[in-house]
Amino acid sequence: MKTQDEARGAASSKDKAAPKWRQDFPIEWEGDHYVTRREMVKFLTLGSLLLASANWATVVASRLVRRGSHVERYIGSAASLEQAGSMLFRYPTDSDPCIAVRTPEGKLVAYSQVCTHLSCAVVYDKAENGLFCPCHHGLFNLAGQPVAGPPTRPLPRVRLEQRGDQIFAVGMDVL
Amino acid sequence: MSLRRQGTTLFSAMLALVAAAVVLQLWLLTVSMEALLSGSYKALIPAAAGSTVLLLINAGLLRYVFRFDRDAHGE
Repeated sequence: MKTQDEARGAASSKDKAAPKWRQDFPIEWEGDHYVTRREMVKFLTLGSLLLASANWATVVASRLVRRGSHVERYIGSAASLEQAGSMLFRYPTDSDPCIAVRTPEGKLVAYSQVCTHLSCAVVYDKAENGLFCPCHHGLFNLAGQPVAGPPTRPLPRVRLEQRGDQIFAVGMDVL
Repeated sequence: MSLRRQGTTLFSAMLALVAAAVVLQLWLLTVSMEALLSGSYKALIPAAAGSTVLLLINAGLLRYVFRFDRDAHGE
């Protein structure tokens, strides 16, 4: 095996013998392809590392979101809900609109108001006995499941607790 | 056939494999982002694990590239 100095010496003597254009363009096509492909494999592997890291970042983000959705929050009185049929509130943060409904069977349910199709706000439709999205005529039943229109995923459910006349949101479940 | 010429052919094939793996990882990331934004977190860990497996495959191929390169320099 040649040492580095020997190799360098051989290369310089070869350069001296070569014509001027060869000194200006010393890399052969073969060598050029070899180097560009090798460098591209390295570059793509670095991209692969970034993509895998981004995937794990989504896992970490989901843990943070889940931790934040266990806060307890007063959302209103049972009397006002009975009067209006439905009640709008924000949970777990002020930028998350939700809707609470008293079902005809007397059960208290609440869901995220954000339609799982294209994020329009759903409203309570007494005639259809469900949550209706006016943007694309999507309909969810009072179990949060999509029953008509374009939505395919259920609405995230808000867990509620009634203490006397007061209603509290205590957590969120993704169905 | 010189070792470098062999390497060019070999690296072209490996490039295709690594590129296919990266495209799969991109798809996994878009699936994860959609799952995260829609609140359905069940798919996140399998997607991240799949992406890591693809990364390990790519890292193995890269290790082979480095080894081959070392041998080609020693030729």
